[in-house]
Amino acid sequence: MNPLSELQLDTLTEIFNIGAGRAASSLSEIVGDQVKLSVPRVQLYKSSDINAEVLSLNGLRVGAVKQSFSGPFDADAMLLFTEERAMEIVHDMMGSQVAIEDVAEFEQEAMCELGNIILNACLSSMADMLDLSLDSSLPIYSVGATDLILSQIVSEADQPVMLVLHIDLAIEKHLSQGYLVFLLSSSSLRELLAHIDRFISRI
Amino acid sequence: MPHRNNIRTLLIVDDSRVSRMMIRTFVLAKHPQWIIIEAASGNEALEIVDRDTPNYCTMDINMPGIIGTEAAAQILAKYPGIRVAIFSANIQESHQTRAATLGAKFVAKPVTERTVALALDFFESQT
Repeated sequence: MNPLSELQLDTLTEIFNIGAGRAASSLSEIVGDQVKLSVPRVQLYKSSDINAEVLSLNGLRVGAVKQSFSGPFDADAMLLFTEERAMEIVHDMMGSQVAIEDVAEFEQEAMCELGNIILNACLSSMADMLDLSLDSSLPIYSVGATDLILSQIVSEADQPVMLVLHIDLAIEKHLSQGYLVFLLSSSSLRELLAHIDRFISRI
Repeated sequence: MPHRNNIRTLLIVDDSRVSRMMIRTFVLAKHPQWIIIEAASGNEALEIVDRDTPNYCTMDINMPGIIGTEAAAQILAKYPGIRVAIFSANIQESHQTRAATLGAKFVAKPVTERTVALALDFFESQT
């Protein structure tokens, strides 16, 4: 079930890896600590198979910032943190401007802005490498069960097969884990692959 | 535009209240006497510049209503003396090129002391 050639898969993984590197560097600047990246994973899944366990997303409840990108191809992007760590990250982001007891008031807006920065950092560098331009929707933040958040995106996309790109972000200071997940519908795949091929031909 | 006693007016345009707060805090730490005005959208910014023409402006890109680069283009067409820093998470080259064409400074988010300093350096540099 893999219409991507080995070279296409390798190229897409590397482009995603570079985008994730840009995202990690933005996150590191925000939390003031080193952010470690796992090996990126790029794989096609049957939509009905996509769940938290398959994607190794630990943590039953997460804070998720979701943003849709559209252009030559469409993608749903998500930044996930385990729920309790999200608050610590908001506190880091806002520093001394907000007392710890007031952080909850800003959680929604701060996480939207954080997701906006991280997801755009990744997608922007990928778009530039592929020589295309993508528009992004405004970010939406929700807290809930990882499976529920994933299934919402998958059912909205309404596609039999989806390409999933994901990578783990580990913030050392908080011993916390975040995830960057992109889901592409199969209808977008052809356009994406055309751009990947063009990228390869320029190397 | 008020120039007395080094008082400058800065318009911060961003749909994120958190980002506006952070920009405001870092700017006031360096320039406590500056007057800060905030707008939550490009459309609101266009109304404000007609009323209280600022010296400087920070402009987000992805906002409800007109996007920031378009708002900046309209502001600069009318008030070429305002120095505009495009402060955005959307770092695609197309946006950076657009900012350069407008004569605005492109600053990549996140909002930090360092990135705010980049905008301030641009505001205070003489053309």
